[in-house]
Amino acid sequence: MIPYEYYVALSGLLMVLGLVGIIVRRNLIAMLLSTELMLNAVNIAFVAFDMKVGDVSGQVFVFFILTIAAAEAAVGLGLIMAIYRLKKDVNTNTITELKL
Amino acid sequence: MEQQLTVWAFYTFSALAVLSAFGVVFFKNIIYAVLSLISTLIMVSGLFFAMGAELIGGLQILIYAVAIVVFYVLVISTVPEFKGNSVDPAYMLVSLPIGFILFLELAYVSIYGAWQSNVGLFTNEVVKEVGNIKAVSTLLFTKYLFPFEVASLILLVAMIGAIVIGRKSHVIDEEEAK
Repeated sequence: MIPYEYYVALSGLLMVLGLVGIIVRRNLIAMLLSTELMLNAVNIAFVAFDMKVGDVSGQVFVFFILTIAAAEAAVGLGLIMAIYRLKKDVNTNTITELKL
Repeated sequence: MEQQLTVWAFYTFSALAVLSAFGVVFFKNIIYAVLSLISTLIMVSGLFFAMGAELIGGLQILIYAVAIVVFYVLVISTVPEFKGNSVDPAYMLVSLPIGFILFLELAYVSIYGAWQSNVGLFTNEVVKEVGNIKAVSTLLFTKYLFPFEVASLILLVAMIGAIVIGRKSHVIDEEEAK
């Protein structure tokens, strides 16, 4: 049996990869993809702690995270479409309206 | 035999998941990044099955790897190819130490953190008797019924919001009305 620490370490690695992706990528869609990676890392951690504690509450929360991820993808991609229609670009370096 | 299978499943799925996650972060072509994301999601689903969470593993494939990724593919098909650099080298230098420190912190907290190891209602024996799906759905429709309803409301609001934000005509209509 794999100890739960291994799963938690994998979850931390995926979380860090998602964060690095959000920092380094310049494409808005790629940044949204990296947030999906981070959400998945949280899901793995929830289920791993479930396995350790011997409960299923974490899996219920993973269910809610799946729901919210669907809502987040819909709204985020709608915003990206609106930004693209306005600016004809999805590069974060060109979206600087709020800069003084 | 079964134990050995779980060990092999963990190493295979986690290695492939991390490899595909690198692909999501570093592929320049966004289509390759989305395909890597599908790969990561399916591998994570396999990890859920290995951990004994069958319901979540199935939902992961049904909702994430099918429904959400289709959103991305539709939007990518309307946005033309990305021109600029995929990765900013200056930010790359900043992100690596930050990521490493965050990883150490996550590992430290989750392994040496003060754990109140309380045992929940659904211990291994109970789950083995009633099955994972029944255990999860029992909790979902009794203790977490109100959050479940709120989640459905959030989905409805997000759907309406996405339609209103993404609609093309209303921007043009307002321009013409002026």
